[in-house]
Amino acid sequence: MPDRSALGPAAEASGGASTGPARVLVLLYGIFALAAGARAAVQLSTRFAEAPVAYLLSALAAVVYVVATVALVRGGRGGRRTALVAITVELVGVLVVGTLSLVDPAAFPDETVWSGYGRGYGFVPLVLPVLGLLLLRRRGTAD
Amino acid sequence: MTLVLVIPATAVAVLLTLLGLASTVAGRRIGLLHLVGAGVLEALLVVQAVVAGVAMAGGDAPADTPTFLGYLFGVLLIPVAGVLWARSEHTRWAGTVLAVASAAVGVMVWRLLQLWETAGA
Repeated sequence: MPDRSALGPAAEASGGASTGPARVLVLLYGIFALAAGARAAVQLSTRFAEAPVAYLLSALAAVVYVVATVALVRGGRGGRRTALVAITVELVGVLVVGTLSLVDPAAFPDETVWSGYGRGYGFVPLVLPVLGLLLLRRRGTAD
Repeated sequence: MTLVLVIPATAVAVLLTLLGLASTVAGRRIGLLHLVGAGVLEALLVVQAVVAGVAMAGGDAPADTPTFLGYLFGVLLIPVAGVLWARSEHTRWAGTVLAVASAAVGVMVWRLLQLWETAGA
């Protein structure tokens, strides 16, 4: 039966692994890939010499987000394995960089996405890998 | 990057976020209201980009121009990506996808204002 409600047609049940809450997570990864990528591009191209280590970590973060986004969209066995590696690196990265940026602020004169455990981004960078790993675990047992 | 634009953009973004969450709660996909909301939001962002472009051509520039430009054009992509990603989603989570995208826009316009007000040369 056609449904023309302004709020949208009735939803279908969440079926496959690439729909439902996973979609929301993929969008978040996409936004962070964009944010971290743009930030790293600006930092590396305009003031690389000021803090090479911090800015290279920014670039690493960007690469990790891009790889995770693509792997989550692709799905399948290979996609899942790539996503698992990327998201694990992401979790380690946010914890290590977050800790270092608090212990040795001089080494991080400019914010990166992972500084202070992602406080510049509402701590989403800290929550994202945890949700990502939970999702992968659920998908892994689903098929 | 002026309050005149940031406030309406934030209002539309918040409204669209609530609308998106409402369809998820109601067990619906996204509908016409969401598309109109996203269209209005995108239009405001385009106006913002034009206004900023004109101001910068006139010699006004934020201190961190590259970052400002990154946000200015990056934010244009978010509602489009959100709508495309939400429209191809057939479960109730389509609305949440759009809600996340509009919430991100709501945050980014304030960051743009902040960057703009840190005036440069």
